[in-house]
Amino acid sequence: MRRVAVVGAGMTAFGEHFGLGIKDLVPMAVSEMATHVDKGLDRADIQAAWFGELTTTDGFPTGILADTCGLLDIPVTRVENACATGNDAVRNAMFAVASGAFDVVLVVGADKVRESSARATFWEWAGLTRDMAWDYPLGLVAPANFALHVARYLHESPATREHLAMVAVKNHRHAVPNPKAQLRYEITVEQALNAPVVVEPFRLFDCTPQSDGAAALLLVGEDVVDRYTDRPVWVRGVGLGLDRVMHQHKRDMTTFPPTVKAARAAYAMAGLGPADIDVAEVHDCFTGVELISYEDLGFAERFGAYKLIEDGTTTVGGSKPVNPSGGLKAKGHPPGATGVAQCVELFEQLRGEAANQVDGARTALAHNIGGPTAVSAVTILSSDRG
Amino acid sequence: MVALVALGTYLPPWGSARGRVAGPDEDALTLGVAAARAALAAAGLASPAGTADLEAVETAAAVGVRRVVFVTRELPLLVGGNAAALLAGIGLAADVAVVEQVGGAPAVLDALAGAAPGTLVVAADAPQAGQPAGAAAALVGPDDTAGPAGWVGVELVGRVVRSLPVHSQAVGEPAIRDYSDARLERERGVGVAVERLELAEKPVVAAGLAAKQAAALCAGSPPALPTLGASSALFAIAALHELGSGGVVLAAEQASATAVRVDGPPAAVRRDEPAPLAPEKVTRTPGPDIAISLPAYERAFDAKLRWEAGRCDACGTLALPPRRRCLACGSEAGWTLAPLPRSGEVYTAVTVHVPVPGMPTPYSLAIVELDGGVDVRALVKVTGARPGSARIGDRGRLVLRRVAVRSGVPDYGYALFPDTPAGSVAGEAATGTTEGAAR
Repeated sequence: MRRVAVVGAGMTAFGEHFGLGIKDLVPMAVSEMATHVDKGLDRADIQAAWFGELTTTDGFPTGILADTCGLLDIPVTRVENACATGNDAVRNAMFAVASGAFDVVLVVGADKVRESSARATFWEWAGLTRDMAWDYPLGLVAPANFALHVARYLHESPATREHLAMVAVKNHRHAVPNPKAQLRYEITVEQALNAPVVVEPFRLFDCTPQSDGAAALLLVGEDVVDRYTDRPVWVRGVGLGLDRVMHQHKRDMTTFPPTVKAARAAYAMAGLGPADIDVAEVHDCFTGVELISYEDLGFAERFGAYKLIEDGTTTVGGSKPVNPSGGLKAKGHPPGATGVAQCVELFEQLRGEAANQVDGARTALAHNIGGPTAVSAVTILSSDRG
Repeated sequence: MVALVALGTYLPPWGSARGRVAGPDEDALTLGVAAARAALAAAGLASPAGTADLEAVETAAAVGVRRVVFVTRELPLLVGGNAAALLAGIGLAADVAVVEQVGGAPAVLDALAGAAPGTLVVAADAPQAGQPAGAAAALVGPDDTAGPAGWVGVELVGRVVRSLPVHSQAVGEPAIRDYSDARLERERGVGVAVERLELAEKPVVAAGLAAKQAAALCAGSPPALPTLGASSALFAIAALHELGSGGVVLAAEQASATAVRVDGPPAAVRRDEPAPLAPEKVTRTPGPDIAISLPAYERAFDAKLRWEAGRCDACGTLALPPRRRCLACGSEAGWTLAPLPRSGEVYTAVTVHVPVPGMPTPYSLAIVELDGGVDVRALVKVTGARPGSARIGDRGRLVLRRVAVRSGVPDYGYALFPDTPAGSVAGEAATGTTEGAAR
């Protein structure tokens, strides 16, 4: 397979874009990406596109991408893989270029969560992930899906609710310099611990906000990289992992096997391991999920994640910064866009251009989990060609 | 004369000593099912806890219950049918006849005294605010000699059917209207009805009446009953067990009354009457109807309402819900429904506080590891306990509840009823279960 590089990246700010529809956000992200291609992009060069979108708010997704971005003459494929959609779109596009089928492809991720009434949103989204007869009527709101895991994790590991709060404090702090982040303010551990309960053990600041937004990447084959930049970011590894879909069939709920599988695949493809990762964007839709993911990604030993948040390892300035963008927690989480936006952040990190720059970062990892906990996608990027 | 083999009672865990209220996940059907299972348990035919009693449901089906008479004024569905859910919840086969009857206490004594052999009379009250909730069930033996715990005879003494609708609710009206004349009701209603019964001896228990009026009509001091509607008639007969005697039992409602003679204290009575908790304050958030897929409802119905797993025909592994491909051996050759244990231990639990449209909040969800080494976990709501009180490692039993109302259709399933901290099994009254041979 050919090597594949990211040569352009862009995104809209994440937030409640009541004034912008999906037909605005998608072309905005693509245009911003194009302006960040060092040597310029002629859209006629784009040969195919992959569009990660979890739900569609204004109709037919691939048609919307082609139509609103002026790309009517290329094939567009929609990718939908729950909250792993974004990194799975990257993965599919990467294989298309690596195979030699295309030289220049576009990856877009987008979602518009704040488009239906807050009262309707819960049941609409529950229908995407739940067994209609058995689980759907239980009222398993999104935080509850993850809280079932985290409650057991807190029971078995030394981690406490204070450690969850510390994740929230860290990611809020990271978001402050990020102009694209939705929640750009700092909070304290006390604020997090005393906030209103959403789903015990999660309080308000343990949870991602509801967000709208879009992100875009340009992926090209190694033979044509020079046309676009002298500072490419290489896609070194991609992986996707799955698990049983119903919570009652997951034997050990203190870990996410899809993450373990996706990471294993991505590390193997890259020829790298957890120790090689300088910076990571980890799926922190709920604070406890970031902690569990430290272990599943190999950053910490089993039940040792609390140490990394306690001693500052995963804070920018620490030895393995996680979510310098603010993460889903503070940057925001439009599901289809999230994974693509993680790669936008890491593209900037690896080129030394990030708002919250991690010094000397050369290799980075992006991670999603969803479905709600039945699918994971991991992407490893590096400034080293490998 | 009919042979009363066993009685079961159920009171919701919410309310006070003055009266119980149904929980947000309870309706007349779930109350009735709880009482019916208690009656079958009293007859030695089913174990509500079901701990190591996997065959209990099959046994109940085999006992010869051929007809269920369900009496209530709060039928969950007027169109659409309650019978299948009632049979599944009780654990009776789908070929048992069900009579769904709107009625109060006299109607229940009528149903019992006139019951064909093999009838289970189920009476439930899930009334509008202000009236107490509860349910009771009576099992009539398949013939007049059978019954593992013996039986007592029940015979009609008299019946008076009159009209004085001081409380009324016409079809389509949202609530009961009250004429608000207590003396009229007492004197021209119940008073005249009882007079016309011309009872040769005073009743020992009176159902459907306030305690003071019951005391005035009865010999001695009659036991207080927890409900006033349909179920009060069977609570009255059950009270004979504690009284230790038979006698005349009176049931009155507005201007009508029925009296039966019970020829001894019923021996097999099981009371599922947990100590009451003050009702939980709930937040109700309006929103769109919760969607339902009726094909999915129909496919899941038997396993979901009978609490049964799919047992792999190839290797015997149980799967909840049943599934085409076996979790263990991968066989797709087929599966057969098999009863599940009705008790287990909390593996993990969470409590939802955020408002959820269409669902009263807060509520707890738990993943329960079922007992009996069956290697089955269930994701269920928690019932009968304060939200957030069920902890990892806590034990409880699985009971039928109305999990949600989806686009107007009650969606029944099982919920975890945690064991009370002091007791061994949730929901068993302090007075406990008494089963024994009477004759």
